[in-house]
Amino acid sequence: MNVLRDLVDVLDKVRKPSRYIGNEYNAVHKKDVEVSLCLVFPDLYDVGMSHFGLHILYDIVNSSDFAVCERSYLPWVDMQKLMEERSIPLYSYESYKPLKEFDVVGFTLQYEMSYTNVLRALRLSNIPLHNSDRTNDDPIVIAGGPCTVNPAPMKRFIEAFLIGDGEEAILEILEAVRVGTREEKLEKLSKIDGVYVPGYNDKVSKRIIAEMGKAPLAQIVPYTEIVHDRGVVEILRGCTHGCRFCQAGMIYRPVRERSAKEIYDIANEVIRLTGYEEVGLLSLSSADHSQIDDIVSLFKNLKDLSVSIPSTRVDAFSVELANAISSVRKSGITLAPEAGSQRLRDVINKGISEEEIFGALDNAKKFGWRKVKLYFMIGLPTETDEDVMEIGEMLKRVKKMGFANVSATLGVFVPKPHTPFQFAEQIKPEEAWRRFKLISWVRRFAKINFTDPRKALIEGVLSRGGEDLAEAIEMAEGRDLIFADWSEMFKPDEWFEVFEKSGVKIEEIVGPKNFEYKFPWDFVNVGIYKEYLWLEYKRALKGILTPDCRKKCTMCGVCMNFKVKNVLKGEKRVISTSNDLR
Amino acid sequence: MSLNETKKYLFRYKRYGLLRYLSHLETMTMIERILRRTGVLFEQTKGFHQRMKLSFGQALPTGIIDLCGLFVASSVEDIKSDFVDFVNSLSPRGFEISGFEEVEKNFKISKALMGYEFKMLFNMVPPAPLAEKASKVNGMWIVKFYKPFNASVPKNGEFGQYLTLRSKVVFSEVHFDQGIGGR
Repeated sequence: MNVLRDLVDVLDKVRKPSRYIGNEYNAVHKKDVEVSLCLVFPDLYDVGMSHFGLHILYDIVNSSDFAVCERSYLPWVDMQKLMEERSIPLYSYESYKPLKEFDVVGFTLQYEMSYTNVLRALRLSNIPLHNSDRTNDDPIVIAGGPCTVNPAPMKRFIEAFLIGDGEEAILEILEAVRVGTREEKLEKLSKIDGVYVPGYNDKVSKRIIAEMGKAPLAQIVPYTEIVHDRGVVEILRGCTHGCRFCQAGMIYRPVRERSAKEIYDIANEVIRLTGYEEVGLLSLSSADHSQIDDIVSLFKNLKDLSVSIPSTRVDAFSVELANAISSVRKSGITLAPEAGSQRLRDVINKGISEEEIFGALDNAKKFGWRKVKLYFMIGLPTETDEDVMEIGEMLKRVKKMGFANVSATLGVFVPKPHTPFQFAEQIKPEEAWRRFKLISWVRRFAKINFTDPRKALIEGVLSRGGEDLAEAIEMAEGRDLIFADWSEMFKPDEWFEVFEKSGVKIEEIVGPKNFEYKFPWDFVNVGIYKEYLWLEYKRALKGILTPDCRKKCTMCGVCMNFKVKNVLKGEKRVISTSNDLR
Repeated sequence: MSLNETKKYLFRYKRYGLLRYLSHLETMTMIERILRRTGVLFEQTKGFHQRMKLSFGQALPTGIIDLCGLFVASSVEDIKSDFVDFVNSLSPRGFEISGFEEVEKNFKISKALMGYEFKMLFNMVPPAPLAEKASKVNGMWIVKFYKPFNASVPKNGEFGQYLTLRSKVVFSEVHFDQGIGGR
């Protein structure tokens, strides 16, 4: 079946139809293969196409000789309505085939608020929501991405979770589903490293690739302007700083770099094959690359090309780097001190001092940036009113430096699984509003955005909750609580009603925990010992810093557990952070 | 391709199939990226955010098939006739450059263009004022009309038509109406 004919009339009636047409340059149309996979990003195309992980897997599967990978995204509500009215099922962007006709449908779970979107995608596909209701005629529904480190809330809806790096496992998964009944396939899937099949295996260790693999070069070029509309080179994976709030910093260990030369060559090929005018260097912390100086000098040779570095640390060197590498107009620079006081920055092991923050800002000013945007979190463990007020003091000092425009975004901290702060309590919306008020005086000279604390609480429940959340997620989808990350679609009161009706114990989920507490994700081994996370939490409460593991192994367990190590391509450049100085 | 002084070229393109759903801005970005893939050095705009210096004909509402799109680009490289096949091999389905020719340095689309001819295709008898103008071909009703440059264009479906085509460009100078380069 092919839904293309039915789509034609519908596309004339929706906003931005280009996000539904597929047919992009470099999309792969492969026929006559044994196994078909449709990867679904459970959000709008504009967001989903910006996600690089999907492009990596797309490239790997389509380079194989036995399998095809196609894509799908969740249509916006106007399109969903028309599709339902006309019984058009959710389809893939390559062959316009209904998702139900694929052998495997794979969701990426990048953020918890997209859980209801996954259910909506299944519903639009006419695939039974519960894995127990699926038969041999249905696809096997799998999921990957960072949220799978706590698979419990989505366990009812997903047959197999791929935890960790997907590069090798994805082909093993497709190989396993080539033949057999549903039960036989699930049995085989449960034997693959990194794959958790509820009801088949009760323990799982994350999958890890020792070195960065082949990079996707012929990247799909969208028509619609997407969130990150550019070519991508992943320059390194993982991060060794060990910020205690950061889930990515914990679950993507160890660091694996590509060499400067390789990065430069990949960028050139990507540009040649896509025609992009901009390339983004993707990493959790670009300034940490051991060959970053070489990368900068190589990219300076590339004319007519903008280079963007999405994540940089707050120090003078990172700002210098942003200045050296990016050709974009210096309208605004974003820095994330995360906390206002030195005490609290030490608690979270951010490892930057006040001097470094202002060194970075001095540099930003020197290089011509006129606007500065700062990110902070409210509700970090041990936070006092004084800590919050220091955010205001910092902003005042920044304004006095002479920036034309100072703005700050304050989010509410959400503790995440497999981080030292998984044991911590999350503050409630009322308390968050009270703390926000402590710095509202800053509005006299700086623009302040507060992210909705109710959303943070819902996210907190979804991220640290267990199996019993399934009921709530299902009920929420039924009430159209989808696209919750889009402000016009976010209905917090309804969410709390759903939690109450489905018996979700909010207090218990977001409350403080001790070492003995049985987390729903304790059976998932991401390499880091629970003992290490507890020790780190204890150190946090005392404000003791833990150094970057490039300098000294911190015994977190990842390298020992998986027999891997940090892969650094250059000299071990000394990253001077205040962790060494104090 | 040899490096000379900058030459200005007028390109003619078709955009059809699923690509009729692209907005004007999306079409411009797509064309810029296709041209970048050719590796030909087209002239860039000045300023911080460098883009290819391209100028286009009149913008179309989303949903209309364009059989006579135009854009002007300049290059220091000599563009030969084999460029058409080369650039089309680097384009997605539903877009093709149908021809090009070198134009004077002072050429401007806005000055050279008089207007466009459009066609609306109906799969039933069109509403009253249009029915008289319609000609029936193979069970379809076709209404042709002319719109001067920068006049508003009907949206697809506005009169119940199932397809709208921009079918022909009308230039103010006879020279251009005779067909341009390539095919």
